[in-house]
Amino acid sequence: MRHQNVLALVTDAYGGRGGIAQYNCDFLSALAGCGTVLSITVMPRHAPDPALPPARVRQAPPRRGRLSFTVMALVTALSRRVDLVFCGHLHLALVAASIAYLKGAKLIIQMHGVEAWRRPSRLRCAAIETADLVLCVSRHTRARVVGWADIPPERVMVLPNTIEDIFRPKDSLLRTKLAPESKRMLLTVGRMDSSERYKGHDRVIAALPAVIAKGHDLVYVVVGDGDDQRRLRNLAREVGVAERVRFLGRVGPERLADLYRATDLFVMPSTGEGFGIAFLEALASGTPALGLNVAGAADALGDGELGTLVSEDELAVAIDRLLSAPSRDPHALSESARAKFGRDAFGLRVCAALDRIRPTA
Amino acid sequence: MCGINGIFAYHSASSPPREDELLATRDYMRARGPDGSGIWWSADRRCGLGHRRLTILDLSDRASQPMVSDEGRYVVTFNGEIFNYRTLRDELESTGTRFRTTSDTEVLLHLYARDGVAMVHRLRGMYAFAIWDNARRELLLARDPYGIKPLYIANDGWTFRFASQVKAVLAGGRVSRDPEPAGMVGFHLFGSVPEPFTLYRDVRSLPAGHTQRVDAAGPREPKCFARLAEPLAAGAQDPAPAGELHDRARDAVLDSIRAHLLADVEVGIFLSGGVDSGAVLGLMRDARQDNVRAITIAFAEFRGTTADEAPLAARVANHYGATHIVREVRESEFRDDLPAILEAMDQPSIDGVNTWFVAKAAKEAGLKVALSGLGGDELLAGYSSFVDVPRWHRRFGPLAAIPGIGRFAALLIRHLAPGFARERPKALALLEYANRWTGAYLLRRGLFLPTELPEIMDPGLVREGLHRLQPFRRLAQSLEPDPRSDVGRVCALESANYLRNQLLRDADWAGMAHSLEIRVPLVDFTLLGRLAPLVPVFKPGVGKAVLAKAPTHALPDEILAKNKTGFGVPTGAWMNAVMREKTETIQPLQQSAGLVSRRWSRAVMQAFA
Repeated sequence: MRHQNVLALVTDAYGGRGGIAQYNCDFLSALAGCGTVLSITVMPRHAPDPALPPARVRQAPPRRGRLSFTVMALVTALSRRVDLVFCGHLHLALVAASIAYLKGAKLIIQMHGVEAWRRPSRLRCAAIETADLVLCVSRHTRARVVGWADIPPERVMVLPNTIEDIFRPKDSLLRTKLAPESKRMLLTVGRMDSSERYKGHDRVIAALPAVIAKGHDLVYVVVGDGDDQRRLRNLAREVGVAERVRFLGRVGPERLADLYRATDLFVMPSTGEGFGIAFLEALASGTPALGLNVAGAADALGDGELGTLVSEDELAVAIDRLLSAPSRDPHALSESARAKFGRDAFGLRVCAALDRIRPTA
Repeated sequence: MCGINGIFAYHSASSPPREDELLATRDYMRARGPDGSGIWWSADRRCGLGHRRLTILDLSDRASQPMVSDEGRYVVTFNGEIFNYRTLRDELESTGTRFRTTSDTEVLLHLYARDGVAMVHRLRGMYAFAIWDNARRELLLARDPYGIKPLYIANDGWTFRFASQVKAVLAGGRVSRDPEPAGMVGFHLFGSVPEPFTLYRDVRSLPAGHTQRVDAAGPREPKCFARLAEPLAAGAQDPAPAGELHDRARDAVLDSIRAHLLADVEVGIFLSGGVDSGAVLGLMRDARQDNVRAITIAFAEFRGTTADEAPLAARVANHYGATHIVREVRESEFRDDLPAILEAMDQPSIDGVNTWFVAKAAKEAGLKVALSGLGGDELLAGYSSFVDVPRWHRRFGPLAAIPGIGRFAALLIRHLAPGFARERPKALALLEYANRWTGAYLLRRGLFLPTELPEIMDPGLVREGLHRLQPFRRLAQSLEPDPRSDVGRVCALESANYLRNQLLRDADWAGMAHSLEIRVPLVDFTLLGRLAPLVPVFKPGVGKAVLAKAPTHALPDEILAKNKTGFGVPTGAWMNAVMREKTETIQPLQQSAGLVSRRWSRAVMQAFA
């Protein structure tokens, strides 16, 4: 089998922040571990934090501007051998497809979430239709892509997110601080963006009075930042649960991992998840998770096998039921989540996807 | 005729499939296989196969399916017949393979073990099957070159599903019903949904003459192993001498009919007053098939008129000593059956009603298998398209090649003669389409033209559907490689489109609804290969005359003479009458040729909404 030199065009990867950067790091590190890959050159647009890519991966300095990024990508591509182009975001598809065409290289395009749910511009669409493989984080995203792209559906595969190692069950240091004694704790992790409003913080707040009425003494912890917080605070006041809702803002990874462990129930009734990595983080930490049976959440919650999927009007009843249910063994839950979405499974999937576009396949 | 289905949760994140889903899909196909049923699960329960059986070969329970190979490595679920299975069996036995049944199903298992995917090149028949390999944990699907047997697939990115019917795939309850614009647009263009599309985005047809492998990384792209244009192209390079025409045609067709008589139950025939079914009956007799029961549909409206097929069919039945069963159908029966017809129709179709009634009559007569003369018109240049398409292409093609002239002329005519433009939309489009074979063919066969679609469907849906369907590119694939003769090109276009997507599919659902296996000896890839050197000389009229003379006792002359004028079928008028009552809510269409079909198509589409 031929050894491959990969050029990866990404918005951000090593030293980046957020879900897409994490996914790209996971993907590229796994790709570097596939036996056939010789080298990976990563070209990011952003890289605010220092980071050390693994062996065989080299990351170029970030190029923020679209033009300078494109020029650098072309110059880099023309100056070396490229067998495979990895395009980490739909927005970079045009330049990635052009490079793949110029170099006679294979092309993999990664789709994350909402950005791929609507048909992109004609040019971008045409670029995507030239891909040898389109990877989607969930079945829902895949269905949307297959719906607008004129591409053989077999070339559109699902490669779900994987779980970071820090999310594991153990005793929480924060629990007594946030929810002392007999109080139960609910948690949502996600941005509160007034232009999106799909994460479902407002749905949880609206459901709280009914849950409290069932006899649960609880606190609802919200992690994440965004400009919609004021509206949510007002909503909490309106429904009389202001003193039970705690907005913690953005937190670092260690604290986040501990918050997941501290929680009785992770709840995120979102309608716009590409996949819903926060569900996986909660499950991997041994915490039960609840979401709506909409979009990518069904994947992260394993079609109800790992977590609970309900419709929007069942939310309060489901929260009550899950808080009342005997607690699950956190280690067993974590292992079940890892069996499906752990690093080993992810690595195998990346190599299998790569194998799919092998010239002899 | 059987029903097959399966679920393979290939992605390691997916949950194992549920048995109730496997059973719901399988048992939706009860009519396809009323004689038995079975399921099989892999040890880890990530792959499940289902089967409903109509017993025709080896009636014993040993031949039940899904069938597992002796050593347990391979499992097959199979719909169809392998007509050369005895030859293959002898060949396998001569190298030490031991068989435990006399079914063709077991041959598939042993052949796959020996040849792998290349096995499909050895099969003569109509088939759709799936073979699971326990060692490689891989599924292989295959479908015959003409696409006589249906096979639908659905892949959501985690789990792969397949079944013999679209409605059965959906009956499992786990596959999205989100619409496929290409399927909807295709139906309005052609009168049937062109494969690989269906009305649903997530359900596709495995294209005819293709195999598909599914492993832990999911389904691979279907691979073509047989194109109908290939033997036609090869045949045109090695044309048969004129003197051999008759003998070669007779030998080839008789050979196909012999093959298609293979059964452990009685084989009957659908007999019209035409050449194709008459010749098939004559050749059945040459193949020493005695006491054949022949079924003919007669319409009360036509009794005593020249449009009535029954007297001519009776003459043919008598000529060949067959037992003739004439089944009269009235409009009231059509009206009574209409809900069941629309229910049985797996995908929308503007035809199939006649086949429904003749299959119903065959079942009433106790038949499980019947031969049909279907395919004769495609193979022997029986349609007027064999005259029109080449003529239009020759006459208007050079002019139509001038860029923009088609649209300009259409605009001009619409302005100068709006009445003509309304009445003859296809004539208007000649200068736009006739510069290519596919365009001329679409003009001849099309129900609506692409330019008309925005009048009857949402323009956005039309745009998206046309982008995904690419009707001309898809039609052009039927002409790869170029069949190198006018007749060959139209034969390839008709066989790979109208015959495949409309006639064969109609024969499947209409026969299946009555647990009847319809066999089509004139739709046979081996036969096509043998007749291909003759096809270029089968100018309209010639081919049918050759077929009429193929039996030892040639068909009576009056059959061939009548064949040129054709028969009337009242079902069109019945549909029209029913639809006029039912479709007041449908936007009235402009008066135009083919109004009945167009109105019927809208009504059928409503039934699928």
